[in-house]
Amino acid sequence: MALRAAVLRHVRVAVQTRGLESNPWFPSGSIRLMSSHDDHLTKEEVADRVLSVIKSFPKVDPSRVTPEVHFQKDLGLDSLDNVEIVMALEEEFKLEIPDKEADKIDSCNLAIEYIHNHPLSS
Amino acid sequence: MGPSTGGRTRLSGMQKQVLSLYRGFLRATRSKSPEDRREIESFVSAEFRRNSKQVDRKNFIYIEYLLRRGKKQLEQLNSPDTVGLSSMNVTFSETENPKN
Repeated sequence: MALRAAVLRHVRVAVQTRGLESNPWFPSGSIRLMSSHDDHLTKEEVADRVLSVIKSFPKVDPSRVTPEVHFQKDLGLDSLDNVEIVMALEEEFKLEIPDKEADKIDSCNLAIEYIHNHPLSS
Repeated sequence: MGPSTGGRTRLSGMQKQVLSLYRGFLRATRSKSPEDRREIESFVSAEFRRNSKQVDRKNFIYIEYLLRRGKKQLEQLNSPDTVGLSSMNVTFSETENPKN
């Protein structure tokens, strides 16, 4: 059942990703290259980009951001900030993270893990 | 599974609904123009933050009401006719400083 749900979710996201090709911001050549599984993002690349999204969040002191950091405990953010960060990560990696997963992402480590394991992040 | 388990934040069902609504609003702003988006985002964010400070977290009936009203406003915002907040100000303004 869980597998089926996961597959269905990916199918839904895949359709949206394809929609991006007609978007002038994402020329079709590059989006196909980047969403291909052969050159899936490396964990280091994901980690770098996750950290830079979090560092650029207005309420965050960039010097305190490490891969181990917990959003609310270590950065003094609240649950609404947490939502904003996860939404910013969605946009950065062209994903749509379902509520159930998004509620669990409360630290850099979990964010990196989730995005790295997501087949459609680009 | 004690509170020390990785420091995970536990959310109540109602908190999850509020965060899901907030997510819905932020997602809805993505389809607006950059200026409208900024304006709506800062308004929505201020509204949620104000309520998170002012509303007693045990006042379930009122929170349920706010959730229902928020969902309706989100539907309005998601309709393609809604460009910005101007057409929605009437419904929002009733919430400003109810005591004063």
